[in-house]
Amino acid sequence: MMYWQICAVVLAGGLGMFALTRSRGARVSLGAAAIALAGLTVATAVFDNIMIVLGLFDYDRDTLLGLNIGNAPIEDFTYPLLALLILPGVWLALGTLSNADWRTILRSSRPVSWINTAYPFAAAMLITRGTVDGEFIVGTLFFLIPYNLLMYGVNDVFDYESDLRNPRKGGIEGAVLERRLHRPVLWTGALLALPSFVYLLAVGTPLSGLLLILCVAGVLAYSVPPLRTKERAVADSVTSSLHFVGPAIVGLALAGAQWTPALLCLLVAFFLWGAASHLFGAVQDVEADRAAGISSSATAWGARAAARVSVLLYLAAGIAALWIPGWGKLSALLVIPYLIVTLPSWNITDATAESANRGWRRFLLLNQFTGFVITMLLIQFALTHVPA
Amino acid sequence: MTGGYALALLISIGGLALIDLRHRVFFWDSPIRAALTLTTGLVAFIAWDLWAIHAGIFFRGESPLLLHWNLAPEFPVEEILFLTLLCYSAMILFVLGTRLLARIRTRRSAAS
Repeated sequence: MMYWQICAVVLAGGLGMFALTRSRGARVSLGAAAIALAGLTVATAVFDNIMIVLGLFDYDRDTLLGLNIGNAPIEDFTYPLLALLILPGVWLALGTLSNADWRTILRSSRPVSWINTAYPFAAAMLITRGTVDGEFIVGTLFFLIPYNLLMYGVNDVFDYESDLRNPRKGGIEGAVLERRLHRPVLWTGALLALPSFVYLLAVGTPLSGLLLILCVAGVLAYSVPPLRTKERAVADSVTSSLHFVGPAIVGLALAGAQWTPALLCLLVAFFLWGAASHLFGAVQDVEADRAAGISSSATAWGARAAARVSVLLYLAAGIAALWIPGWGKLSALLVIPYLIVTLPSWNITDATAESANRGWRRFLLLNQFTGFVITMLLIQFALTHVPA
Repeated sequence: MTGGYALALLISIGGLALIDLRHRVFFWDSPIRAALTLTTGLVAFIAWDLWAIHAGIFFRGESPLLLHWNLAPEFPVEEILFLTLLCYSAMILFVLGTRLLARIRTRRSAAS
């Protein structure tokens, strides 16, 4: 294939993008685009020559047309052209929403929680493979932002009606999303996720691809009807926990980990911890959810049974962690603070269920400490196991 | 000098950021919108690069100025910085160009 053929396809794509953004309200000033193109073309002529002479990159000379400006092949001037076909249009199309709107859209992805999904993926991949490569970076970015926009942003859209009736929404635990922003949130989530999602499917194995698809499907199934597992007893805590264990499993599969019994115990412990946490979080909402006509494990079983199951799940997580070999066994101790935080709710009733919010706030703080200890254990593991 | 190219790119991006800061052009005008725009550009250019690498047209150079860190075969980490610089320059030139033309237009309508 010749370089100019790729350039032609790329330019056609750029023109398509230009037309698309124009139909979305972008009125690109052609004069300003011409000024920018002139500037970039001069810069390309100068710097492309310098970069080629310095040997920063090279071409298969047989694929070039042979027309050069100095040493720079004429095809390279497609770069500034493509930049100006795409970028101003996207910029102006996105400008149809105000800065405040974009902040709201970003906030709907819960930036405080980004790390909770990116970390399991990044840790799993880094520990297994021991190197930072394209797959690691793209995957971590995918689970850092787009994944959370698909999880929480989409959730806010489908929870709109019930959120309006929940007084706790609007702070750290989520915001009520105006109806006119629903469409932008869904589009931003889908478009932001798409490139990295496709890339991860392309570079991964069939197994890692399947797991990735399941992971994203789980995130959507949580809040999107007809499944809407967040309103189904048991399924709600299971799906919620998999939102966080899932990225770790995808990371392990992508890095080609060996599924040893020890690793499975670690994942089971992580999963039980996640399910326990979700269930405990639902206890405080029993009355509010019932009043709003929302169901969950907690509304189905009552606050007391839900709180007790949650405590037992934490305990089970600790027991599962005992089968992790070496220093990892210590992570079993980490469930003790969670037991201390949740045990006061052992005899909770539906009427006093809101008092579990105190435990929930402690839980949020406690996670910082837990994350720290887990990181130290992972570093210890890496120092002794990962090939240098 | 290993890393010389990456350093030069970072300094150039820093220079653009100073212009941005001074005139509130892109990130200092609308940070999230700017990030999304830049991401779109990066995705498009990276896809193009990977295609051309796959087709056997582009190669990583042998310059000692490069770091020894490739994100994919023939795709050095510096390429991300280079594409960032390209997209950022394009947007700064475009927005400032728009403002310049608008200023000329208002001045002309004020004179007439």
